Amino acid sequence: MKKIKICGVGSVLLGDDAVGPYTARWIAANYEFGEGVEVEDLGTPGLDLIAYMTGIDVLILIDSVENGAPAGTVTVYDKAEITRQRPAVRLDPHSPCITESIFIAELAGGGPEEVYLIGVTGEQMEVGAPLSDVVRQAVPLTVEKALERVALHGGSFRKRDVPAASEIWWEAAPVGAIA
Amino acid sequence: MAKRITIDPISRIEGHLRVDVEVENGSVSNSWASCTMWRGIETILKGRDPREAWLFVQRFCGVCTTVHAIASVRSVEDALKLEIPPNAQYIRNLILINHGLHDHIVHFYHLSALDFVDILKIPSADPAKTSALAESLTNWPGNSKKEFLAAQDKVKAVAASGQLGIFTNGYWGHPAMRLSPEVNLLAFAHYIQALEYQRKSVQAVAILGSKSPHIQNLTVGGVSNAINLDSLATLNMDRLVMIKKLMEEVKPFVDQVYLPDVCAIAGMYADWFNYGAGVTNYLASPDLPVDSKNTKFDLPGGFILDGNLAGVHRFDGFRDKVFTEGVTEETKHAWYKGETPLNPWKGETEPEYTDWQAEGKYSWVKAPRFQGRPMQVGPLAQVLVGYASGDPLTRKHTDKALDLISTVAGHRIGVEKLQSTMGRHVARAIRASMLAELGEKHWQLLVDNIASGDTTTHNVPEFPSGEIEGVGVHEAPRGLLSHWSVIKGGKIENYQAVVPSTWNASPRDAKGQHGPYEASLLHNPIADPVRPLEAIRTVHSFDPCMACACHTFNPEGQAIAEVKVL
Repeated sequence: MKKIKICGVGSVLLGDDAVGPYTARWIAANYEFGEGVEVEDLGTPGLDLIAYMTGIDVLILIDSVENGAPAGTVTVYDKAEITRQRPAVRLDPHSPCITESIFIAELAGGGPEEVYLIGVTGEQMEVGAPLSDVVRQAVPLTVEKALERVALHGGSFRKRDVPAASEIWWEAAPVGAIA
Repeated sequence: MAKRITIDPISRIEGHLRVDVEVENGSVSNSWASCTMWRGIETILKGRDPREAWLFVQRFCGVCTTVHAIASVRSVEDALKLEIPPNAQYIRNLILINHGLHDHIVHFYHLSALDFVDILKIPSADPAKTSALAESLTNWPGNSKKEFLAAQDKVKAVAASGQLGIFTNGYWGHPAMRLSPEVNLLAFAHYIQALEYQRKSVQAVAILGSKSPHIQNLTVGGVSNAINLDSLATLNMDRLVMIKKLMEEVKPFVDQVYLPDVCAIAGMYADWFNYGAGVTNYLASPDLPVDSKNTKFDLPGGFILDGNLAGVHRFDGFRDKVFTEGVTEETKHAWYKGETPLNPWKGETEPEYTDWQAEGKYSWVKAPRFQGRPMQVGPLAQVLVGYASGDPLTRKHTDKALDLISTVAGHRIGVEKLQSTMGRHVARAIRASMLAELGEKHWQLLVDNIASGDTTTHNVPEFPSGEIEGVGVHEAPRGLLSHWSVIKGGKIENYQAVVPSTWNASPRDAKGQHGPYEASLLHNPIADPVRPLEAIRTVHSFDPCMACACHTFNPEGQAIAEVKVL
């Protein structure tokens, strides 16, 4: 059986960049998965992504993308398309590292066979802003695209009869410590 | 005539760190470090429950998650004068130790070794000679000829495919690359092995913190782990043994691979002990507290001014008055309003953007100062403070490293030489070997304390209706991190994070004093302005991290960093 992992990546503090973590948490709250399938909100792991892709056969990343399409567009990239971007000399070693992480994991011989990026084109990356409406409306399609890949590689899932709390804690209004 | 080089991340969203240097006669004559992203994340916290601030700050940066979380709970605990049960201190310390080991291993092998190691020389190496060399250094079982042959085959396969992949844009064949093919192969084989060991440290963090990268087990007042050695659902003996086993696997890698590799490379590039000293004022906080009142620590903190090790001053706790009263932030050359240097408790974050101006404002990073001086933070600061003040653990590991470097270099490299680009790499490896040893100690402290019958893991915080202020300090992998909170009526009124990279990437201040990145770049050699490998070596030696920011993938994006020569 293949090990499949859905990872939401992005910063929950920066507007539409939260779409990856938001969607991963939504999926975890609304679906149950069979053995070998995991869902995780990884935040912004940089090169640490390697640690989370080891031993995984199929990696499905959900992230905001900047690709010139209208905000809210959902685009699926496969491994060849992701790795077309060549990494270069970097100054700040912790910038986004999806491509590099894949290369390094492959070099070590433990990288996933298949990698997909379900990209959602963002509208704004404002500090402290919630998801834009147009991006929030794209979440169901993003979920569908991710689950299609799970099914394609033999992973099983079913919708929960009663959804669990999805813990989008960063969108909650501020409340103090004294009631 | 000086030539200006800009090394700048291209993409708008990904842009974090930009460095500009002027090169005259093959050497850097002027420099600027800028952060190209707004860091106003603290404003999100205003009005929130101080007990949940750590959840938000853990998202400042995806690589330094645990460090912001710990600084945040410490800040609120300091404001409340709350004691922390010993079990909670040890559990937190074990998380910090394992996180630090992970960070240091990744930093050396995956983020900066290739500044010194020329991948394209590896195919011509003799694996038998590499093996003989490695075995002369240590007893590491991964140093066989077979192991090196396999690593060499990986590079040959990449080279033969005509697509260099990860290695596409390295500075291969650069005149400043000087290792023999055999040593290049040695370092590359360990680069591959390091992937496995850094992951073990991540696993240990995940067991202790219930999850990784975002730990779930912190609480203001302690940790939320329930301890019951016999219960499956809690931190039990099985889990404690798993953590111990992981640490016992990582420690030999640090002692027999990471530290010797850094020392060997340092000895072979001993001239890099002459470049990159920069700001020689050092600031470190004490960490790894061993008592509930935060009065005793296993890592000493303090400060050193003007490189004068004999004049070291030790801090006696997290909230040493000399520290809290000494820190200010200035904005003369940063894109914020305000003229007066402010203590972080009074800190303001009001943006005022101009273009990048060499003589004016040019960065989103404020200029933090201690007693009016720029300070260098990071493992080097911590190791120098510990060494200069006679800390036995620091002395033991530092002397061992200096002996090995001196043997390889063929001449004596003393502790004062650590004030350099190479010294920052060496200090990080020394710190890793100290952490690996302290990991064993804190595991034992935890187990012994539980065995004595103490299963308390947190004290309950109670918030007064008035205003209180706290500082949460942590000696993070990149150096001193401090979170300054003002809490009013149980709500956050003001919150400022002074992160290690703010100290090190600081722009000039009102007096025109350079920050550490800038100062360390001055007088660096630059053999080829189009391929400024030497400048990158110095910047990387700090383990820069501006990533308290955004993460958007750009599928059409080109190179992450562009070098422009004007």
